[in-house]
Amino acid sequence: MGAASAPVLLAACGKDEVTPSTITTTTTGTGTTTTGSSSCTVAPTETEGPFPTHTPSSYVRSDITDGRTGYKLTVKITINSSPNSCAALAGALVDIWHCDAQGNYSEYGGTGMQSTNYTSVHFLRGRQTTDAAGLVTFTSIFPGWYSGRATHIHVHVYNASGTSLKVTQIAFPEGTGTALAAVNGYAKGLSGYTYNKSDNVFSDDTAGAEIATVTGNTTDGFVLTMAIAV
Amino acid sequence: MPTRTITLAYRKVLDVNSPKPWDKLVLADSYRELRMQAQLYNPGGQYRTFGELLHYVPGAEKLHFLVGGSIGGYVQQLKGVMPDIVNNVGRYFLKFTRYQFELINSDLHDPSKHQVAINFYTEPLHWHDTIASYLLVSDATAPAEANGEVLTHLFQLQPYLTIHSLRPAEPAATVG
Repeated sequence: MGAASAPVLLAACGKDEVTPSTITTTTTGTGTTTTGSSSCTVAPTETEGPFPTHTPSSYVRSDITDGRTGYKLTVKITINSSPNSCAALAGALVDIWHCDAQGNYSEYGGTGMQSTNYTSVHFLRGRQTTDAAGLVTFTSIFPGWYSGRATHIHVHVYNASGTSLKVTQIAFPEGTGTALAAVNGYAKGLSGYTYNKSDNVFSDDTAGAEIATVTGNTTDGFVLTMAIAV
Repeated sequence: MPTRTITLAYRKVLDVNSPKPWDKLVLADSYRELRMQAQLYNPGGQYRTFGELLHYVPGAEKLHFLVGGSIGGYVQQLKGVMPDIVNNVGRYFLKFTRYQFELINSDLHDPSKHQVAINFYTEPLHWHDTIASYLLVSDATAPAEANGEVLTHLFQLQPYLTIHSLRPAEPAATVG
């Protein structure tokens, strides 16, 4: 051993290692090392397990709050099929995502490591399947805002096999008495806020087709309802 | 010898040749999620590979993060025990609490080209000594026995396992 065992990195022989395709793995898993090499690593010799089970994507949940603070917002989206006389579309997958009260998306931490005991790294993102009435319901918080955009929720609708049917955004009603006015931009206030008419996504929506109905108050929370035709 | 504190990183590469059930579940679910989420960056369907998306579509690098959301449940099933890497008596011994999912290559029309990695980062280890090609380490968070004895592991560096960070030994005077 010692100096003779230099090519450590080419000699791993444990059957469970991830190895480049140029390395053949022949160990039987009994814990013995392959003969002829002085620098092999030992193969796993443990009771088998744990046994993996199929786990749904962590997006599949109704409550997407993940500990983010803000006024409660219940999001009810109905998906209708425009080729089918706007009948309710059952079994469609609906993704939503939006920013937190400060205007940040969960992806901003996405280039770093994530911790297994901090499961909320994908906060304010969720996926639900429409019921027979075409409805999905999410529990979240009222979104904050960030420079250049009106308050909005992103929506991506897929059919049951995951094929994209529509990518869109939901806008919020504005003016006296609206939820937007009641929330008042959280700690930021609404100074410098971009209203729908100036928003680069919603400004062409003169009919207001992308604006949801939002009811409620800051004490009891708000309910957003929206119908989207795909 | 003065004791340094290190963390290890293991880049577990998963592809069509990965043999274990856990690997296959992670691959299948991340591929399905990629096919769904990639449509956001590929509305016309003109790009076929992850490499093309990354090269041509601004923001497509978010797919690492977005697709990573599909496999968190499998990482939790590992219960904080680093897979694949064993000590010299054949036991899994490394603990991790942090990880990072990474797309390497994929083809939206060919699941056999889907290749991902999960980078696992260990908890801190004390690196006491090096014996031939083996590192002698102990859990840096474990309390020492009253007589100063610490329990150790002997293991070898191997492909895709590296020392991720190092904290130099403190001056001998403060260590005692």
